[in-house]
Amino acid sequence: MLQRRHNPVMNRAPPSDSAALRWDVFCRVIDNHGDLGVCWRLARQLRDAGQRVRLWVDDASALAWMAPGALQPSPSTAWGSAPHVTVLPWSDATRPEPLGGLEPGDVWIEAFGCELPEAFVAHGVRHRATAPAWINLEYLSAEPWVERHHGLPSPVMSGPALGWTKRFFYPGFTAGTGGLLREADLLAQQQAFDRTAWRAAHAPALQGGGRLISLFCYEPPGLAGLLAQLRGSADHLLVTPGRPLSAMNMAIQTAMQAPTASPATPVAIATPAASTPHTMAWTALPWTDQHGFDRMLWACDLNLVRGEDSLVRALWAGRPFVWNIYPQHDNAHHAKLDAFLGWLDAPPRLRRFHRVWNGIESGALPALDAAALADWQACTQAARQRLLAQDDLLTQLLRWARPSG
Amino acid sequence: MKIAQEIRAGNVIMQNGAPWVVLRTEYARGGRNAATVRMKLKSLLSNQGTEIVFKADDKMDQIVLDKKECTYSYFADPMYVWMDTDYNQYEVEAENMGDALNYLEDGMGAEVVFYDGKAISVELPTSVEREITWTEPAVKGDTSGKVLKPAKIATGFEIGVPIFVAQGDKVEIDTRTGEYRRRV
Repeated sequence: MLQRRHNPVMNRAPPSDSAALRWDVFCRVIDNHGDLGVCWRLARQLRDAGQRVRLWVDDASALAWMAPGALQPSPSTAWGSAPHVTVLPWSDATRPEPLGGLEPGDVWIEAFGCELPEAFVAHGVRHRATAPAWINLEYLSAEPWVERHHGLPSPVMSGPALGWTKRFFYPGFTAGTGGLLREADLLAQQQAFDRTAWRAAHAPALQGGGRLISLFCYEPPGLAGLLAQLRGSADHLLVTPGRPLSAMNMAIQTAMQAPTASPATPVAIATPAASTPHTMAWTALPWTDQHGFDRMLWACDLNLVRGEDSLVRALWAGRPFVWNIYPQHDNAHHAKLDAFLGWLDAPPRLRRFHRVWNGIESGALPALDAAALADWQACTQAARQRLLAQDDLLTQLLRWARPSG
Repeated sequence: MKIAQEIRAGNVIMQNGAPWVVLRTEYARGGRNAATVRMKLKSLLSNQGTEIVFKADDKMDQIVLDKKECTYSYFADPMYVWMDTDYNQYEVEAENMGDALNYLEDGMGAEVVFYDGKAISVELPTSVEREITWTEPAVKGDTSGKVLKPAKIATGFEIGVPIFVAQGDKVEIDTRTGEYRRRV
């Protein structure tokens, strides 16, 4: 087992409750909504911890459904004294005029590989007496190198902040990493959740013995195989909007164009009604906010998730899940998936399901029988317990951000 | 200027106005197309060591130093001795050998790097060919190379190789990343 390296930054005393910092968090939307989802979740948790936050985003439109109310105009861009999150356009940080009246924050976060606008950095260098706590928030991975890279300094070698130092912060699944975002009352919320009522409201036609399965994915190669497996079952698939719904419609169209002589070909028909021997029941869900997404995960018997934020939420939900990992052009995601399944201590059938689901191996998906799901749930809940014993991401980030001395 | 992923063990970079020799680099793929490079450095002025990390495309100044083509001769603890074509010998401290130790074999070629007239490190060629001294049995059929298995070379350095690679095979290894390139 890797030993946690001594790192003077990470070993600082816990922050004082009375000291509120000012955070500038930068996020670029590349594709999908995951990066913004994580940054919004972080900003919200910082606010709840008494911090003042400015979230700079190039495309904040997804917050309209992900976090209703987040885009309400703020009366002022000044920091003020109360905890808050203000969403600001990235473009305002690239030009001297909007920056003129802004006071740079105490903590700068560049999320997921984005570069801070040079105008903002230059403004900070001119107006701050000391360097901020400048943090590069990296992507999530279970690969072993994450522990070796986490916490290391990164000298700024060019530009207006030449001579300053950033620190690389890696979210992760082990004590030697930066941990995962987790609301303090998350498990209590789940315990108070009325699962039966949610299921009745969202899948009223679900028959006795049928399972409720959520689908939030990219375009998993295993989707056609899943539909074939569920055909004629009492299960009900809840399909989230966007790419998952497009993938579902494409899989159905492909199946309907295929020769019906093949018994392996699902002829699924889009209907919320109960399934027949040649169809399966599914529903297209509307857009929902982050709380709504959690409730869906809590309610379902199996969650098919994607990206980083929903993977973490699926872990906290403690239900069986399968991860559609973000595909990378050079197959770098294969090693990342294997590393995650290793950390998860996934049983063989779950590993095989993942590899077929993600197109790393060919062949049929393992059967989603009761024994398999029970096994996968036990695995998830054991992993969750390991995570709960570690400091969460917010706690570690607050510890990092405190000025020394 | 170079970018971080171009910096290799044996290079010297300027940090806070002082020269630091790069002892080891570790390139890691993050999400999407992002990558980071971890570097282990030693100060040429104070001998102090440190570890830092960069985004793979972070720019930095590399100091261009004198170099000489040499071959590895022998180990005289704690020095690794290299020889040029005129039979001049140059000693490099074990601590400064960095990644070169992973691929070391008698007679191997590399560039010895000099700072202020003193041999401070070695720069490897971008790839080397080495025999696989241990790996699990080869599996025929799948030549797609999608799945990797662990393998070792004579120094004990471990790399991932495709499942069709067998013990005794010679492979080309990228010394910048420590990754398998092809079977020779």
